[in-house]
Amino acid sequence: MRVTQSLVQTQFLTGLNTLESNLAQTQAQLTTGLAFSSPAQNPAAAGSVNTYNQVLAQSTQYAANANSAQTNLNIEDNALTQIQNQLQTLRSLALQANSGTISPQDLGAIASQAAQIQKSLIGLANTQNGNGDYIFAGYASQTAPFAQAAGGASYAGDQGQILAQIAAGQTIPVGDNGDTVFNQIKTGNGTFTVTANAGNTGTGLIGATTVANPAAYTGGSYAIKFTAPNAYQVLDATNAVVASGTYADGQAIGFAGLQISLSGSPAAGDSFAVAPSGNQSLFTTVQNLVDTLNSAAGTRVTPQIDNAIAGSINDIDQALGHTSTVQTAVGGRLNAITTQLAIATTQQTQLKQTISSLQSLDYPSAITSLTNQQTSLSAAMQAYTLTAGLSLFKYI
Amino acid sequence: MSNLFQINVSAIQALQTAIATTSNNIANANTPGYAKESVDLTTAIPQVHGSTTLGTGVQVTKILRSYSQTAANQLNSSQSNLGQLTSLQTYTNQVDNIVGTTAGGMSAALQSYYAAWSNVANNPTSIATRQAMLGAAQGVASSFQSTSSQLQSLNANINDAITMDVQQINSIGASIAKLNQQIVVGTAQAGGQPPNDLIDQRDQLLSNLSQLVGVTTNTDSNGALNVFVGSGQPLVLQGNVTKLTAVPNPFNASQLEISTATNGSNIISGSITAGDLGGLLAARTQAVDPALNQLGQIATALSQSANAQQNVGMDLTGKLGANLFSVASPLATASANNTDATTATVGIANVGALTANDYLLTYRGGAYSLTNASTGAAIAFTGAGTAASPISADGLSIVLSGTPANGDQFLIQPTAQAAGSFKLALTGPSQIAAAGAIQTAAANANTGSATISAGSVIDATNPSLLATANIQFTSPTTYSVNGAGSYAYTPGANINLNGWQVQISGAPAAGDAFTVQSNAGGAGDNRNALASANSQTRGVLAGGTISVNAAVSAMITGFGSQAQQVNNAQSAQTAVNAQALQSVQSVSGVNLNEEAANLLQWQQAFQASAQALTIGNNMFTSLMSALSNGIL
Repeated sequence: MRVTQSLVQTQFLTGLNTLESNLAQTQAQLTTGLAFSSPAQNPAAAGSVNTYNQVLAQSTQYAANANSAQTNLNIEDNALTQIQNQLQTLRSLALQANSGTISPQDLGAIASQAAQIQKSLIGLANTQNGNGDYIFAGYASQTAPFAQAAGGASYAGDQGQILAQIAAGQTIPVGDNGDTVFNQIKTGNGTFTVTANAGNTGTGLIGATTVANPAAYTGGSYAIKFTAPNAYQVLDATNAVVASGTYADGQAIGFAGLQISLSGSPAAGDSFAVAPSGNQSLFTTVQNLVDTLNSAAGTRVTPQIDNAIAGSINDIDQALGHTSTVQTAVGGRLNAITTQLAIATTQQTQLKQTISSLQSLDYPSAITSLTNQQTSLSAAMQAYTLTAGLSLFKYI
Repeated sequence: MSNLFQINVSAIQALQTAIATTSNNIANANTPGYAKESVDLTTAIPQVHGSTTLGTGVQVTKILRSYSQTAANQLNSSQSNLGQLTSLQTYTNQVDNIVGTTAGGMSAALQSYYAAWSNVANNPTSIATRQAMLGAAQGVASSFQSTSSQLQSLNANINDAITMDVQQINSIGASIAKLNQQIVVGTAQAGGQPPNDLIDQRDQLLSNLSQLVGVTTNTDSNGALNVFVGSGQPLVLQGNVTKLTAVPNPFNASQLEISTATNGSNIISGSITAGDLGGLLAARTQAVDPALNQLGQIATALSQSANAQQNVGMDLTGKLGANLFSVASPLATASANNTDATTATVGIANVGALTANDYLLTYRGGAYSLTNASTGAAIAFTGAGTAASPISADGLSIVLSGTPANGDQFLIQPTAQAAGSFKLALTGPSQIAAAGAIQTAAANANTGSATISAGSVIDATNPSLLATANIQFTSPTTYSVNGAGSYAYTPGANINLNGWQVQISGAPAAGDAFTVQSNAGGAGDNRNALASANSQTRGVLAGGTISVNAAVSAMITGFGSQAQQVNNAQSAQTAVNAQALQSVQSVSGVNLNEEAANLLQWQQAFQASAQALTIGNNMFTSLMSALSNGIL
């Protein structure tokens, strides 16, 4: 093999180029801390890093969504607590009004307190979040949903439910609309209502009502009619007698799976209507109480008033139960958020580790290669100067 | 006596020639293309003296050129491959960098875009959040545009480089043709002795040419070298050169092709696969154009899915959502060689079936054929190309303005323009359709336990979409709509009307009522924004299996792999080339130490011959003095 000087030089220069570009690449790696600066250096890792970065960004966004939802749900939770406090106060007032010892004059004062509670309840139902959105308005969050109106309050919102994406495939409601929270509260005991006929002349008072056999109650309406102060008949919607019996004070009357306690002394001809529970607005419930109290204020407290107040207390209890259910659901969502935030934090840490392991430089090995490359480069240079200096012409 | 002089003079002359040849070698040690020369020494014709023959000295028969045709051919071919890979490498790495740069790149823009949708979902009534979303959408648009324009500028660079390569090839071809003429004349004048220096020059030009374009050669008996490019198109024949021309592509005037005729009739780009020129053409068809097409495919998918989602939603003003993005329609270009003015219009019928390919539609013999423009593979299609029956294939629908002339061709580029033309179409933040178009409600007086779903829009074009519809239960098992009809109730089943779909589930009571109506005023509704944010992971491409994000990742990996493969091939070819260079150099290169040794050898021989001549002279002088002294 003949080796010529120009070949030696070409090969040296080619080698020098390769060594210097390797050195420059290692240097760039050490400067940036990245294992590769273009996807061509590790295409699979570059694609994966891109995918993982997207997943990381998504996870971060889910966490941001969860935090935003948490803020709104905390506002709702707080509003519901205050609503329940107001309802408890209202219930105490109603019990006070129903105690039998209260004077008709005091009823007026209680009525005005109840009216005040009505105002603050409407205010709470119009709670806004930090963005100025009404949280109980459904989708129509830019309009105040509740306004005081005859018979309670009008509702300008809708039944939309706003959701937040807190994880892949997991959305949670970040609020509840006004219809669901305030307007769709069952009356009576939640299954049926008992109301005294306005024309009753006796002192029959409605006591506890229960569903003894849910399977037997099909949702029909009935009337309990007193044929005599101590005898009653139960008529169904077609006026057919479905039950009858002897009345004793405080004794429960049972029919069609229902149990109704009556006390006092009803008069012959008195009747009590039994109907399936319907939905009633919380504000109607409060307004009904206010109206009842106002109608009795300054006059005699009749059994009708007592029955009406007792009915209102039932309705308030329903409202308390209902808002408590809503609040429990809110608590459940807040728990779900806490869980998801914890999961997201772990996931993000793992993703960051994965991304780092894919694209971050292994410093010890990079520094070792740098040293090796430096050694090769200086050895190549020295070898060249030694061999290039060898020439027969020197000896001629 | 005269014999002695003749021998020594011939030796001195021959050795002078040898020393001159060695000196010439030393002088040209670093001249590119120079092949080491050596003298071919033979004994002069001897004189016969009776029974003995006596040598008459030495003579130079010719100057030999150390050259291996095989090694030179190998080097030329290796240089062609290296040239191709080097220019391909330049462009694939640029494409890789353009596509793959994560910082400020498309991925980051897409991440911000989807995050912005989430933020709108978290706070749909905020104008500031909506404005930020428009900003992020503009960021995506800018990212597509700038990536596309960077790729387009690579195509412009390729055009420039093609023009320069063609000029250089033509100029080298002309020089080779001229040298051919000189070599033919020179060889004849020297009585068959080839003019080595001219051959060296010609070989060097051929070597330079082989870096630009793949060549094949043959040598005529008169010494002329014929050079062919591509699949055998002559560049140099004897003393004539056939110039190459860079001509516009008949479908796309912005791309240059190589032709052997100035009118562009004979395009040979397809057969030029080696050399710098081959690399440039390959970079365009393998890296730049596919990158533009894939980017366009992603842009089209994003635009279509974002617009479809926006269309089924409602904006802050209570109108159905307008398109968020706009992209150019697929391109259908009639060939410049078509003989009539028929045009083709292409639409995208199904983005899920869309590919990143270009297609060639040909009308011949009364029938259409559709092929993949880069591979030539036939594509199955249905339809007749009319508005009533468009040609449909790979998610495209193609309609022609009339019946084309026989042999007419159309290049269909479904996505090439999409990325560059990707624009934000919305102008105001209130136009963002964050809300669903409809809302549902159950009457408060309902006594049953049935609930109605929030509802979804199936057909946003239905004119009655936003009309209020009342669903009234006439019994627990039947319902009427707007007071008419009686439909059997199945809990949870879809109820479709006016372009929307709702489900009612649970146990309704007779008299229960539900309404479906326009969501105008539902400013706090974020259903559509949630769906838009979720489209980040929703499959759009490849039949709905690949999301926009996944397509971007796949694109990064794809072009990264291509660049990596070309880099590896280029490194390997560099090694092959060094080997080929070594083979050529070991035959033709000048080794200075060898020349020094030769020089010493010739010098000593020269000194000896000169000494012999002196001895001869002394002998002659001695003889003369003997004569004059009368000794003889």
